[in-house]
Amino acid sequence: MSMRVGVLGIGKTPHKIQHEKSLKDLGVEAGRKAMADAGVDPSEIQMLYVGNVGSVGFNYENSTALMAAHHLGVVPAGAVRVEAACGTGAWALHLGCVAIASGLYDTVMVLGMEKMNDLATVEGTSIIAQAADSKEEYFSGLTFPSGTALTARKYMQAYGVSEEDLAHTSVKNHFYGARNPSAHLRFECTVEEVMNSPKVADPLKLYEVCPMTDAASALVLCREEILRAQPNRPQVYVTATSMASGTWYQASDTLDDAYNLFHRPATRAYEMAGVTAKDIDVAEIYNSFAIQEPLGIEGLGFAKMGQGWKGAKDGSTWLDGKIAVNPSGGLLCKGHPLGATGATQAVDIVEQLRGTAPEGMQRADAEIGISACRGGPGSVGAIHIYQRLEG
Amino acid sequence: MATLTSYGAYVPQYRAPLGEIQKFYGRPGRPRSRALATPSIDEDTLTMAFEASRDALKGERGVGAVITATQAPPFGLRKLSATLSRALRLDDGAVHIDLGANANGLLDAFRIAATLDVGPTLVVATDHLVAYRDRVADVLSAGAATAFLVDPGKSGFATLGPQARAADEVFDVWLLGREQEPRFRLEVLFDSYGKVTARAAKALAAITKRETGRYTSICPSQPHPQVLRSLGKLGARPEQIEGTSFVGDIGNVGAASVGLALCLGLDASRKGSSLLALAYGGGEAVAQEITVTAKPKGIGARGMIDGGEPIALGTYYRWTEGRQQQPH
Amino acid sequence: MTVSAIEFTRLGAPKLHLFAMKCGKCKELSPWWERSHCYKCGHDTLTEFELAGKGEITNYTVVYYPPREFLGQEPYVVGHIRMDEGVTLPAPVMGVAPDAVEVGTRVAATLRRMKLGHEGDIYYSYKFVVDDDPAPKKTAPARRAAAKTPAAKTPAAKQPAARKPAAKKPAPRKPAARKK
Repeated sequence: MSMRVGVLGIGKTPHKIQHEKSLKDLGVEAGRKAMADAGVDPSEIQMLYVGNVGSVGFNYENSTALMAAHHLGVVPAGAVRVEAACGTGAWALHLGCVAIASGLYDTVMVLGMEKMNDLATVEGTSIIAQAADSKEEYFSGLTFPSGTALTARKYMQAYGVSEEDLAHTSVKNHFYGARNPSAHLRFECTVEEVMNSPKVADPLKLYEVCPMTDAASALVLCREEILRAQPNRPQVYVTATSMASGTWYQASDTLDDAYNLFHRPATRAYEMAGVTAKDIDVAEIYNSFAIQEPLGIEGLGFAKMGQGWKGAKDGSTWLDGKIAVNPSGGLLCKGHPLGATGATQAVDIVEQLRGTAPEGMQRADAEIGISACRGGPGSVGAIHIYQRLEG
Repeated sequence: MATLTSYGAYVPQYRAPLGEIQKFYGRPGRPRSRALATPSIDEDTLTMAFEASRDALKGERGVGAVITATQAPPFGLRKLSATLSRALRLDDGAVHIDLGANANGLLDAFRIAATLDVGPTLVVATDHLVAYRDRVADVLSAGAATAFLVDPGKSGFATLGPQARAADEVFDVWLLGREQEPRFRLEVLFDSYGKVTARAAKALAAITKRETGRYTSICPSQPHPQVLRSLGKLGARPEQIEGTSFVGDIGNVGAASVGLALCLGLDASRKGSSLLALAYGGGEAVAQEITVTAKPKGIGARGMIDGGEPIALGTYYRWTEGRQQQPH
Repeated sequence: MTVSAIEFTRLGAPKLHLFAMKCGKCKELSPWWERSHCYKCGHDTLTEFELAGKGEITNYTVVYYPPREFLGQEPYVVGHIRMDEGVTLPAPVMGVAPDAVEVGTRVAATLRRMKLGHEGDIYYSYKFVVDDDPAPKKTAPARRAAAKTPAAKTPAAKQPAARKPAAKKPAPRKPAARKK
C-alpha cells in the first residue's frame, strides 16, 4: 500500500545535559514547539503517542504519556506511552503514521523524550542494560557498549577491517556534530584522536560511543488533505513506515542478523514508498556506537555487506557524497536520549527536506530521506521514508 | 582405618605487599611474610573451595558426605557444604556438615569423616581471614583452600592415624557476640600455641609410640618460633618443618593452614613416610599421625605458593575492605 | 537493581551449574536462557544439557564502565566462549590482562562471584580462566558426561570449524516459518 502522512509540524529541545529541566519540561518544550510550527492548537491533537524508555529507572516516574497529555493541554485526546528499547521514538512515529493512515484520526502528535542525567553514569548503564536480557545474557557483566563491542569485533574479524578504518565514521559524525547547534557534543576530531580516546569497551573507544543526553523531539502528523490544503507550508510527507524485530541476544546475533534487522523492513519500506536505495538523498542512521552506522548503511542497501564503513573514509557518505549519512552528527554527537532518538531522526530528516537544516548540514536539494532506528542487542529495526511532494 | 585417596589445593593468584602495608601504618620491623595470598574481588571461601575440591575429586561424583571447615563463610543461614555440593553437582542426598572452624577444623573434619559410614567424604578447609587495616600486619590475612577425599573403606595412599588433643582456657583471639573486630594478644597466642601444641604432640607420641623427632615431616598450621622451640624440646628438627612451611611466603590462610602444610608434606612424601599434622586454634591443639602407604601423585603445592602476581596496596584494600562488615 | 529473595532464588541457583539448553527435536544447543523454544527450529521442548566446561574464546570485549553490581572488577574481559560441545556462551574471562586477550585461547570454566547485588547478595556463576592443558582433558569430561555426550564430538575435531569466519557463508539461523 502507499501512504501519505503529512508532517505538519516539528520541534525539538536542545540535545545536551539539562539539569535545569525535568522530563516533563522537556516533553512540554518539544511538544509546544511542534504545535507552534504546525499552527495547531492543543485541542486539535486527537491522539498523543509518547516514546519514553526509562522514566521508571531514570526519573522514578511512570505513565509519562498521561503526564505529557496533561501538561501539553491535549486532554481529552488519548495518550499512550510506547516502549521498544532504543527504537522507541521510531515506534511512536510508526503508531502515529498508522493512526493517520487508518483514517481514524486527522491530527496526532508523536513525542519522544528522555531525561537521563539525573543519575550517575553507572546507574544509567544498568538501566540501559535492561533493554537486553540483563538478568540472563548481561548477567555476565555485559553492557550495551560492550555488547556492541562484540559486534564490532565480529565485523572486524569477518571483513578484515581495522579499528582505524572504523574510526572514520566518528570523524565524519563529529565534523557535522560540530555544526549542529542542538547537538550534545560539538567538536571535530581526527582519526588519531578517535584512536587515542579512552577505551570504553574494547574495541570501542570514547569517541565511538554516544553520550547520555536529556532531550525531547515532537512531530505533528496529519492526513494528506490537511497539509495539501496549506500549500504555503513545506510539503513533507512520511511515505513509508516499516518495523521489524530481531534477536534479543548478542550471543545469537550474527552479522547476517544485524544486516537483516534493517534489510527486511527497508525492502518493504522502499516498496511502500515506490523508491529505491539509489533515490535516497539523505539518511539518518542509528549510531549510538560507531559500528552501527556501517551496519545500517549495508542494511539499507547503500553498500554491500562488509563495505559500509568505506563511505566515511572515501567521502561518499559525507554531505556532498553519493548519499549524506547522518549530516546531523548522528547519535554520536546528538547523544542518545533513548525515547527521543527515533523522533529526533525524523525531525532532522524533515528539516533536510524542508531545506531548513543548519548551515553546513544541509544536503542540497534533498527530496527523499530515510531514517533507520534500531533497538536492543539486535531487536528492533525501524525504517521511515520521507519525501517532499509538491502539489 | 580411614585413608586419603586424593587431595587438592587452591592458592589465589594475587600477592599483596605486606611490607608496604606495614610501612603505610608505621609498623616497624621486618614483615613476617614475603606477601599475602589474596583472593581477587570475585573470589571467596566458596569459590576457592570449589577449585580445590574439583582438583581433588577429578570428576568423581560418588561422594557420601561433604564437610567444610572455615571461619569465613560467604553467607550465613545457608550451608557452605551443601552449596559447594550443588556447585560440584554431587549427590544432593549426601551428608552436609559445616564446621565453624579455626585452624584445627580440618583435623576435626578428618575425625568426623573417619566415623561416617557413607562412603567417600570430601573434606574441605577454606579460609580468607580479613583483618582491619594495620592489624593485617599481625594477622597476615590471606586466603586459600584445600580439599581431601577421605575413604573409610578403600585403601588410599595414606592412612589417617590416631589423634591427640590438648586445650587451655585462653583469650588469644576472640570476639564477643557480633563484634566485627577480633580482639587479640599475639604474645598470649604464641605462648599458648607453643605450649598446648607440644602437649598435644606429646600425647600423640604416647599413643603412637613414635617420638616427635621421628616423623618424616611435621605439618603445623603455623611454624611460629615459639612452636618450634616447644617442639624442639620434644626432639623436633628444623628440617622436618622446612618443606611444609608457607606462612613466610603467602601469609596465614586460617582453616586451610594445616591442609596446605599437609599438601606440601604429601607432595614430598614417599611410601613409608610419616607425617605429623599439628593444628592450633582458640586454645586447643590437635595432633594427628598420617602414614603414607603409597607415594601419592603430587599436586605441585609448592609451585602454587611460589607463583603469583603482585598487586598494589590500593588493590588489596579495595578487594578486602568492607568484607568484615558485610557477609564475607 | 533491587533483587527480592524470591528472584534471587530463581536466578542464583541455576548458575552454579554450567549448562546449555538442548532442543528435543533438532538437538541444537542454545545458551541457558533459551527455555521457551529452540531459536533454530522453533521446537518448544528443551532440556538442560550439562557442559564439560572447556572451550575457546571466539570474540571478546573489555568492559571499562561496568554496571553497578560489577563495580570494582573493571576493567574485565567478557568473551564469547565456544564450548567444546558447540554452543557459544558469554562469560567473563579472568586472569588475562585486557591487552593480552587472544581469540582462539583455550579456556576452562571455574566458579566465581559474578557480581554483588543491591543488598550485598552474592551471585555465583561460571567464569573462565585460561586452560593450560593444550588439548582438552580426556578423562574427566568423558566420565562426567558419558551418559549424554556423543563420543564422536571430540573438541579437537571441532576447533578449526570454530575459527572459520562465519560471514562469508551466511547461515540463516531463523526457521523458515519466521520469515514473513
